[in-house]
Amino acid sequence: MQNPFMSTAFKPDLAFTGAAERFFELLKSFSLPGAGAAGAAPDWSALAGSLAGQFEQWLKSSQSAGPWFTAASAPGSGAGFGAAAASFGPLPLGAGAAPQQDAQRSWDLVARLAQLQAQLASYWGEIAHDAAQRFVTRMGAAAGGAPTLDGALKLYELWVNCAEESYAATVRKEEFCRLQAQLANASAALLVEQRRHAETLVRAFGLPSRNEVDALYAQLKELRTQLAELTEARRAKPPQPDRATAGRGVGKRPASTPARDRRSRRARKPRA
Amino acid sequence: MRPFSADASFLAGAAGAFVPELTLRVADTLARLRQARDVTVGCSAKRAVWSFGKTTLYEYLPLREAARDAPQRSAARPLLICFALVNRPYVLDLQPDRSLVRRLLDAGLSVYLIDWGDPDDADRCLDLEDYVERHLGGCVRHILVSRGTSSLDLLGVCQGGVLSLCYTALHRREVANLVTLTTPVDFHTPDNLLSKWVRELDTELLRQSGNVPGEALNGLFLALMPFRLTQQKYVRLLAGNSDQRVLEDFVRMERWIFDSPPQAAVALAEFVRWFYQENRLIRGTLRIGGKRVDLAAIVQPVLNLYALGDHIVPPAASAAMERCLGSRDYTGCGIDTGHIGMYASRKGADEIPSRIISWLRERP
Repeated sequence: MQNPFMSTAFKPDLAFTGAAERFFELLKSFSLPGAGAAGAAPDWSALAGSLAGQFEQWLKSSQSAGPWFTAASAPGSGAGFGAAAASFGPLPLGAGAAPQQDAQRSWDLVARLAQLQAQLASYWGEIAHDAAQRFVTRMGAAAGGAPTLDGALKLYELWVNCAEESYAATVRKEEFCRLQAQLANASAALLVEQRRHAETLVRAFGLPSRNEVDALYAQLKELRTQLAELTEARRAKPPQPDRATAGRGVGKRPASTPARDRRSRRARKPRA
Repeated sequence: MRPFSADASFLAGAAGAFVPELTLRVADTLARLRQARDVTVGCSAKRAVWSFGKTTLYEYLPLREAARDAPQRSAARPLLICFALVNRPYVLDLQPDRSLVRRLLDAGLSVYLIDWGDPDDADRCLDLEDYVERHLGGCVRHILVSRGTSSLDLLGVCQGGVLSLCYTALHRREVANLVTLTTPVDFHTPDNLLSKWVRELDTELLRQSGNVPGEALNGLFLALMPFRLTQQKYVRLLAGNSDQRVLEDFVRMERWIFDSPPQAAVALAEFVRWFYQENRLIRGTLRIGGKRVDLAAIVQPVLNLYALGDHIVPPAASAAMERCLGSRDYTGCGIDTGHIGMYASRKGADEIPSRIISWLRERP
């Protein structure tokens, strides 16, 4: 099944197929034996367990590394090492490629990530069970009549409402927000650590590192800014009086008015 | 809680009764989605008139119907649209019947649009000062010089509205009227989930991690309401009508939603820290390029349109603008739609351009 958070690319047909599959799965779980016989009032409470289990599974597969940091990982890569850090692009190296002492910190971060993901999983269970409970409560003792597709779609809407309400109630909690941030920070720290390893390696081969390129870029940017300021100052500066007219009061005052100066400043195009 | 009143007996034993019909609808919808996959986006003619780094300034060409008023148009004050960094601006000109740009052109306005492009690794050190002063500022200065005018009207959308507020506060004389759409000012309202989630992010790590891919931000936005945004909207297609144009509209929006540019690392880290974490804009502690951004310095007329059902920029986050501006001519208006509905829904497509056009006409 297509995992919605893994697929943040434009694939409407795949996304639709995934959602339709989920819809069918949901309908299947509605028709479990606990749902009762045709024409009789179903025992909704018996459904709550399977509904919650199915829902929790979906949440886990969707958000195993936190919504932000799972988003760009490759489909099917799960919640592992690569999945967490790959959100910012492909990793240059694995932790195993780093020197032994440096690798330790990476493995510590991986362990930290796993621990945080386990904590997050407990919230998915909470959300799933709460959503199932809400759904069962609202279903009441509905029964009777012929089954229709519209009826199924209405039930689905109800289920989504319950799921969103439960989700919203949990993900707004302070401890959940803190956990999300910790997960994001651990993922970013792991990525930074791995890039540090890569820097060490490329330096050994005499190649420019990312930090060096960034430093060069910063210098270039500063020079451009200085150049722009100098150019502007030169434009704003009154023309130098030539020696023949010097001391006769000509050329002391700029020819332009303040308004004209403003216009000339606007006219300056920064260079890319 | 009121029990669900619909017929639900299909769940019990007779569940298979409508499955053939459902299967057919799924197959039909899937086939039509595949047909619609190559829909085009963007409908109005435009030309690039200035660029700086990855940023391009476009000028929209007047519509044929509006061209007869060309002399009047060229004399009118230009309108510059500043969109968010995190999304593509073509949503404002998605298709002829859902195009804010087209409506503005149709009203005879002279419209410019900033496209921030795709920052790459060479741009990871771009900061907010670069974006406000050199990219947005460069666009403003180009328009003023090329049009020989001393001020323009500025329309800021979402995060672009925040940048527009900053620019207007820092360069008062260059902006005659300011229009903001779904623009947050108070980032700490209790209903702002996005703000809660990023409050404890380590922005230094974010900065060091490099540019953030658009997919990562998409994942974050989808996670705000995951079931509605990744499941329900697709299942709802099964209940919809069979009009292919409706499905094409849906696919156009999908294309836009999933087409997000990467974010320059430093600018994003600054935005998260200064706005979402420290709420500097409303607290009056924001400084850009060494200059304080004082919202009270904005004294020109301001029209602020926000969505009442916005899950990304809660209405209170935007409505707070009224309390901070120095302007005596402030118009705030909540529209009964969601964040994306402001740009792309039928309601948004009808109501928002009309409000902007009539408001600007009253302030020549």
